[in-house]
Amino acid sequence: MTPPMDDAEAPVVLAAHGVSKSFGANTVLTDMELTVRKGETVCLLGPSGSGKSTFLRCLNWLEEPDAGFIVLKGQRIGIRPSGNIVMNDRELAAIRTRIGMVFQHFALWPHLTVLENVMEAPIHVQRRDKAEVRREAEALLQRVGIADKAGQYPARLSGGQKQRVGIARALAMKPDLLLFDEPTSALDPELVGEVLAVMKDLAREGMTMVVVTHEMAFARDVASRVVFLDQGRIVESGAPEEFFTRPKTDRARQFLLRYSAQ
Amino acid sequence: MTWYDVYAIFQGAVFTVSISLASIVIGLPLGLGFALIRWSSVPVLDRFVVVYVSVIRASPAVTLALLIFFALPVVGISLGAVTAAVVTLTLSTAAFNTEIWRGALMSFPREQLESARAFGMTRGLRFRRIVFPQLVHSALPALVNEMTLQVKSSPAIAVLGLVDITRAASRVGARTYDPLPPFVVALVLYSLIVAVFVMTQRLIERRRAAEMEALR
Repeated sequence: MTPPMDDAEAPVVLAAHGVSKSFGANTVLTDMELTVRKGETVCLLGPSGSGKSTFLRCLNWLEEPDAGFIVLKGQRIGIRPSGNIVMNDRELAAIRTRIGMVFQHFALWPHLTVLENVMEAPIHVQRRDKAEVRREAEALLQRVGIADKAGQYPARLSGGQKQRVGIARALAMKPDLLLFDEPTSALDPELVGEVLAVMKDLAREGMTMVVVTHEMAFARDVASRVVFLDQGRIVESGAPEEFFTRPKTDRARQFLLRYSAQ
Repeated sequence: MTWYDVYAIFQGAVFTVSISLASIVIGLPLGLGFALIRWSSVPVLDRFVVVYVSVIRASPAVTLALLIFFALPVVGISLGAVTAAVVTLTLSTAAFNTEIWRGALMSFPREQLESARAFGMTRGLRFRRIVFPQLVHSALPALVNEMTLQVKSSPAIAVLGLVDITRAASRVGARTYDPLPPFVVALVLYSLIVAVFVMTQRLIERRRAAEMEALR
């Protein structure tokens, strides 16, 4: 299985330019650059506290960057086209419907069944036809292998099942791209595989994805590009085979050594 | 004590239930509104809510009733005794409800709100579709508890000359020189009223549990 190659001709789905972010005196991100083309799977790697998750959350403005800007399919998001005014709740919401997100701790809505979780945003946010959404939601649950759990509440599911619901829920919005925030970090080791398998399929089918992960094997096999962060800066970026066999920086070498030692 | 006396106390019970229900029906959403103002830190208004809750919580119901009935005419607002009673009980229960709703809001899981934001829900939709349906259930025991306290603090409005259960019972006792029977009747009536609240709560909780258990 070969992941789609980094196609320089594919249109840019998402671009981040000069993104910086501080929490108080603590600088988390400095001058981050990222371009994601259609069909790419970009893996963000780096040690804990390197700013990967914060950067991912800046991409859909869950976190407001202090500087820089995010462009989704040519449209600058977070800031209004006219002047430097931050978008309001409604404007941001409209843009976020085009960016799917999968969370480390699943963040499903426990008062809704699995099927209702998947149907919630398409029906109430996108206001699409209920019968059609239901058909699609059932097909998505089939695709991630939990169609038999459709009527269950999330509390009854294993972590791996919850995360697959999380992925189906994100796909139901038919987003331009998917963001994954450490999707397997909260899972028991034996459940990691089932989630990664779904993500692998998505990558192969040409879904555009940005994945924050500690799963080096996944990044090596599936990523079209890896971006290595340390202390809120991009240290290295390139093809996975390049990064994993011939890292250019000492920092990346140390990082990879720690993983291969495990 | 005659059957007529029992009937008189029962009439007091109807009045107690009526004004308690009125204050509960208005006080629940009012408390939720105040809690939301605090929760979303609406400037200026949230300070107002803090002061309101502190003042009301410090004020005994009797004092509050007298204050509203006698002090408001000074600023040109004159209320009838029944209206003043309902206003008193509403202001009182709304303050306690504010704290109950606020506590439930503060313990609401942040990640659920975050995923709702990430899925393009606006503030109103997040509250309506995600927060509120769960909030009702987490706040329910404390809210029902406050409702029963509310019923039991309602005798305070007797200072406005209104006849509730306790006032009716003491009138009967004063007339018959035998206060024990009417107060036993009063206690039974209070127990029945509170039992209805508690049974309703249990019913809602059982339904919810059955719903969460249901396999579809």
